[in-house]
Amino acid sequence: MPKAPSQLLLRPWPLPVLLALRYLRSTRKDAYVSFLSTVAAAGIAVGVAALVLVLAALSGLHERLLGQILATTPQIEITLPASADPQEALLAVEGVDGISQAQRVLKGQGWVVYEGVPEAIQLVGFEGSLPPSFPGEGTRGAGLYVPRSLADRWLAEVGSKVQVVSPRPSLSPLGPRPRVRTVLLEGVFESSPVETFQRAALPLDMAEALLGREGRVIQASSSDAEEAVAVVPALQEVLPEGARVQTWKDLNRSLYFVLRLEKTLLFVAVGLIVVVAALALVVGLALVISSKRSEIGMLGAMGVSAPRLRSIFLWLGLSLSTLGLAAGCAIGALAAWLFDRFELLVVPGQVMFVDYIPFRVHAGDIWMVCGATAILVALCSLYAGHRAATLKPVEALRR
Amino acid sequence: MSVAVRARGVYKTYTDGDRRVPVLRGIDMDVAAGESVAIMGPSGSGKSTLLHLLGGLDRPDSPQEEETSLIEIGGQILGHHSERELAEFRNRTLGFIFQFHQLLPDFTALENVMIPGRIAGQDPREVYDQAKRLLAEVGLEDRLEHFPNQLSGGERQRVALSRALALEPPLLLADEPTGNLDPASGERVLEILLDLQARRGTTVLLVTHNPEIAGRCGRILQLESGVLHADRR
Ligand SMILES: Nc1ncnc2c1ncn2[C@@H]1O[C@H](COP(=O)(O)OP(=O)(O)O)[C@@H](O)[C@H]1O
Ligand SMILES: [Mg+2]
Repeated sequence: MPKAPSQLLLRPWPLPVLLALRYLRSTRKDAYVSFLSTVAAAGIAVGVAALVLVLAALSGLHERLLGQILATTPQIEITLPASADPQEALLAVEGVDGISQAQRVLKGQGWVVYEGVPEAIQLVGFEGSLPPSFPGEGTRGAGLYVPRSLADRWLAEVGSKVQVVSPRPSLSPLGPRPRVRTVLLEGVFESSPVETFQRAALPLDMAEALLGREGRVIQASSSDAEEAVAVVPALQEVLPEGARVQTWKDLNRSLYFVLRLEKTLLFVAVGLIVVVAALALVVGLALVISSKRSEIGMLGAMGVSAPRLRSIFLWLGLSLSTLGLAAGCAIGALAAWLFDRFELLVVPGQVMFVDYIPFRVHAGDIWMVCGATAILVALCSLYAGHRAATLKPVEALRR
Repeated sequence: MSVAVRARGVYKTYTDGDRRVPVLRGIDMDVAAGESVAIMGPSGSGKSTLLHLLGGLDRPDSPQEEETSLIEIGGQILGHHSERELAEFRNRTLGFIFQFHQLLPDFTALENVMIPGRIAGQDPREVYDQAKRLLAEVGLEDRLEHFPNQLSGGERQRVALSRALALEPPLLLADEPTGNLDPASGERVLEILLDLQARRGTTVLLVTHNPEIAGRCGRILQLESGVLHADRR
C-alpha cells in the first residue's frame, strides 16, 4: 500500500469522535450525502455571514446613536426632595469619589422669542459654567444659550436680543401676565439630531425668577459613562432621603429597550437561514444513518450503548457544520470591515444621524452567533442520531 | 466444570400485525465452559433468534404465572441487566460472528479488529498490538491495511473472527459463519475457529446447516418446533 496507514484509532479520543471523523471522510464518497452536506454547510455559511453582518451594522448604528445621546444627556441627574437644601446636597455630591463635576440646575418649560417668532423649548437654568450636556465651542459662562440649528434658522447671532417667556404668570393690577426677560444671546451649542425636544440654557437666578424655585436638580458627571453608573450607590449614601438618582442609562431606558428588541428580532429573522440549513443537515445525517443501518447494529452488538451511538452523529453533524460556521464568520467579518472601512453603504442627505452605515464587529456578537448555531446544529444532529440510537441491533442485523 | 450457558423456559413469540408467530417454545440448555456445541435445525426454526437472546441483543417473552424463565451466561442473569449493562456485557463477555461479516466498511482490517478494545476503553497502543497479533493468528498479517471491499469473502470472515475474539471473550456465538463462503474458504475459517477455540478454551455455540461441520463440534443440538434436544444420530 503506498498510503501511510491511518493513525486514527491510535488517538486517545472518545470512540464516537473517532467514528464521526472517519464517517466525515467517507461521506464525501457518497454523492447524495456529500451534496446534501455541502448544501447544509454552504447554507450555514450564508446564514452565519448574514447574521454577523446584520449584527455588526446594528452595533455600529447603536454605538453612534448612543455616542450622540451621551454627548447631550447628563451622565447623572439627581432630583432633590422639596425639603432638601440644594447647596448642602451639592457639596455632598462633590465629595463622592468618582464624581468629577457637579452643578445645580433647574428645569422647566417655556418659550424663547426672537423678533416676534416664539419657539417652545425646555429651559435649563444652570449655576456656574454651561453643563457638559450642552456640547460646543466658545464661551461657557453665565448667559443664554440656544441650539445652533435654532440660531441658524432665526438668523440670530451672538449678542442678539432674545426674550425668554415663562408660562408661570405673575399677578399685576391688570391681571395675570406672563413673565418675560430680555437677554442677549451668549452663545450656541451643538444639539443632536436624536434629541426629542429642544433645550435652551440660561443662568440659574434668571431661571428661578421665571420658573419658581421648585424642581431642583443636580447634574453630575464622572470620568466616563460606565464609571457614572458605578458611582450611584455611593451617591445614594450621602444624599438625603427621597432624592432620586438617575443615570444616562435610566434616562434613556426606553431607547435601550427598543435597540435591544431590534437586535433580537433581526437576529431571529436572519437566523432562520441557519435553521433551514440545519434541516438540510438533518436530511444528510438521516441518509448516512439509513445507509449504515447494519453497521450501527453491529456496533450495538459489540457493546456500544445507545447514548454513544447518538453522540457519533452529534459529532458528525458538528464537524460537518464547523466548516460552514467558520467560513460564515470569516466572510461576515470581512464584509463588515470592508463596508465600514470604505464607507460603502451611504445614507443620502440628512435622513439619518449618520451619513454612512458604520459596522462594528463585537466579539460578543460573534460568540452569540457561533453559540446559537452550534446549539441548533447539535439539537438537529441529536434528533437525527436519536434514530440511530433507537435502532435495535437485532432489527438492524436482520436483512 | 463451570457452566457457561444456562437457559430455562425461554419463549419467544413474534407478533406480526395481529398474527402471533411462536418461535421458541421453552428452551432449556446447559453448556459447560470450554465446550463447542453445534446448533442445527431447518431454516426458520429460530436458531438466530436463540443466539440473539443468548447474546442479550433481544429479550425473551416474560414468563407466564408459576413459570420461570432464565438466561444465565457466565454467572450473569441477563434479565436483571439494563440496556446499558447489556451493552457492556456484550462487549466484555461475548464475541459475535454472523453469516455476513458485518465489518465496518470505512475501517481497515486492523482497525475493525481494534474496535471492540476501543469500545471497552482499553489503551489504544495495547489494542493495536493485540489486533495485529490476532490477525497474524488467522493468517492475515499482510492484509492489515486492507479495507473490507479489498478482501475476499473468506478473508473478511477471518477478520470478523479476529474481531469477535479481540477481547478474549469466554463465549463465542457464531451464526452460520461459513454459510456464505465457498467450501474451501469455509473450511479454512472453521479450521481456525475450532483451533482458536481449543487453544483458548472459549465456549462456542455454532449454528450451521452443514452436518459435517456440526460433527466437528463436541456436541450437536437440534432445534425443532421451538424446543432443543440432543442429536438422535
Ligand atoms: N422481527 C420479526 N418479526 C416477525 N417474525 C420474525 C422476526 N424475526 C424472525 N421472525 C421469524 O422467526 C422465525 C425464526 O427466524 P430465525 O431465528 O431467523 O430462524 P433461523 O435462523 O433458524 O433460520 C422465522 O419464521 C422468521 O420469519
Ligand atoms: Mg438464521
